Amino acid sequence: MLIARDAVNTKIASVRASTGTTVTVSPAGFFGFQGGGTPLSNKQIDTLVTLPYVIAVQASLNEELQSSVTSLTSPTPPGFLGHHFGGFSSRGGFSIPVRFVGTNSPGTALVGGANGGGTEKLTSGTAFSATSTANVAVVGTSLATTNKLSVGSTFTAWGTKVTVVGIYSSGSTFADADALMPLATVQKLAGATNQVTGATVTADNLNNVTAVANEIKRLLGSAADVTSSQATISSELSPLNSVKTISTYTLFGSVIGAAIILLLSMLMIVRERRREIGVLKAIGASNRSIVTQFIAESTTFTVFGAVIGFLAGVAISSPITSALVSASSGSANVTGFVRRPDGGPSFGAGGSGFAPPGGPGNGDGHFHFGDFHNTITQIHTAAGWSTLAYALLMALVIAGASSAVASFTITRVRPADVLRSE
Amino acid sequence: MLQVENLSKAFKTKAGDVHAVSDVSFAASAGEVVAIIGASGSGKSTLLSLLGLLDTPDQGSIELDGIELANLDDKGRTQYRASQVGFVFQSFNLIPNLTARENVKLVLEFSNYPHADRDARATEMLSLVGLDPEKSERRPSHLSGGEQQRVAIARAFAAQPRLILADEPTGSLDSKTGQKIVELLRNAASVEKAIVLVVTHDEKVARQADRRFEIEDGTLREIA
Repeated sequence: MLIARDAVNTKIASVRASTGTTVTVSPAGFFGFQGGGTPLSNKQIDTLVTLPYVIAVQASLNEELQSSVTSLTSPTPPGFLGHHFGGFSSRGGFSIPVRFVGTNSPGTALVGGANGGGTEKLTSGTAFSATSTANVAVVGTSLATTNKLSVGSTFTAWGTKVTVVGIYSSGSTFADADALMPLATVQKLAGATNQVTGATVTADNLNNVTAVANEIKRLLGSAADVTSSQATISSELSPLNSVKTISTYTLFGSVIGAAIILLLSMLMIVRERRREIGVLKAIGASNRSIVTQFIAESTTFTVFGAVIGFLAGVAISSPITSALVSASSGSANVTGFVRRPDGGPSFGAGGSGFAPPGGPGNGDGHFHFGDFHNTITQIHTAAGWSTLAYALLMALVIAGASSAVASFTITRVRPADVLRSE
Repeated sequence: MLQVENLSKAFKTKAGDVHAVSDVSFAASAGEVVAIIGASGSGKSTLLSLLGLLDTPDQGSIELDGIELANLDDKGRTQYRASQVGFVFQSFNLIPNLTARENVKLVLEFSNYPHADRDARATEMLSLVGLDPEKSERRPSHLSGGEQQRVAIARAFAAQPRLILADEPTGSLDSKTGQKIVELLRNAASVEKAIVLVVTHDEKVARQADRRFEIEDGTLREIA
């Protein structure tokens, strides 16, 4: 149970750590480029920075531009999905619009924050500053290739000439089709001054994510949809938490049971060896020396038992843990999009406003559908030094507790009474 | 020199107080073997428990070489038992999981006998009681009754105590072996200069003592 508990604990910690410390904020009713609602304002976003435990707020304004508004062409062919989801199946000549992401955090955007949760890396040029108002852009590799762009090239958007200052690559066809621009620039060019379509708020540590999310909900009220990765993952973790609780109680039960068994065994041994104890006292043994001998014996028994239990635990903990997790998570199912544990923030709404790209099982840190549940319930048990140390510590506690009572009994043995019965 | 004065011990029972030892006084010198005879329930074992400081007297004094023992605290009593008293029991009471040699060395450990000399002392004592050296590495269960009592005597004398208390030392032995054991006790008392107090109900054993006492209803009297 100790090994199972440790394994589940490790899994919970790893899942929680991998889900990140971010909270996504988007206008109420808005998801990606779908839904409706009223954009958030710069002022609302600025207040988020002042909240307790918040260490960063990344705001973004996302726009989709058709070829009539930009000189750029999307590298993504419409295909079946484009026609189906875009609702243009009955029209001819439909093309996917080019996505422009205005962000006040280009550094974060280039390491996987703003642009669909990818793992973007700048391959040439530079990023723009957070407060930039220049007409500049960092474009994705495929967008640059399709439009023959390189650092220093220009294109037009909203009738304005924009200079390419950098090119990034994320490994995702979806994310590499985007253009990142300064937030203020996009707000100005799109005529959306003071408007924001999403924000990603970063808490200082995992334990404060929920508090931050609650505070944002309180602050923005019904104007925004607030989701945190921790809240999303908590329901998925509940089977594991159940297993953890079960294993903890079982562990304590086992320790108490073992202590009682050992205590009774020691009392029985002391009772059976009462004559020996009396004789030892008669020939000059002190209570201390006799008690020390019995404690040594009980400690030896217990440590020996702990080592055997540890080895047995190593052998059978994996199937037991799997059975417990399976039994506890039988009814749990995942709905919606969740991010793989090696990625960053979950749920596509909010910061990026992009629908999740990528497919299941590619391990690229992007969003995936449905396979997360399996990942959570796949638990690898391993007994490390800390587990062994805990086991030995518990063994010593058990030995100590049982020896204490046995020792008390030993000190009460009167050699005259024992020898008188001869 | 052992000097016992007005020693008394009573036990409370439902039927009232039972005076197991009543106003007992006697003295014994080093190297002397003293026999105390009496019927079962006469107070022999209680007297031995008091002299071995396994029990506390209600009144009276026990002096060994001028040191009052009756009022010692627990620690003092334990030290006294470890270094000044040796016990020989009717049923030997050797520690079953220790060899004969280890049983003897055990009391040397309790009495803080010099560590380096313990093995030699154990060998010396086992030799004194005539135990075959080969058998000194055997556990009690692999020794005869007579051999076990030899080991018990060796254990009792090992720490060079001033007083040996033997409670029916021949009670579990045949008469021939019992005779040898009494001779051993006499010899050991002489060699080790210890006072040997033998409690017995066997007249033959008592007759071999230097002095004889009879105890009846807790009262001790010397007999010729």
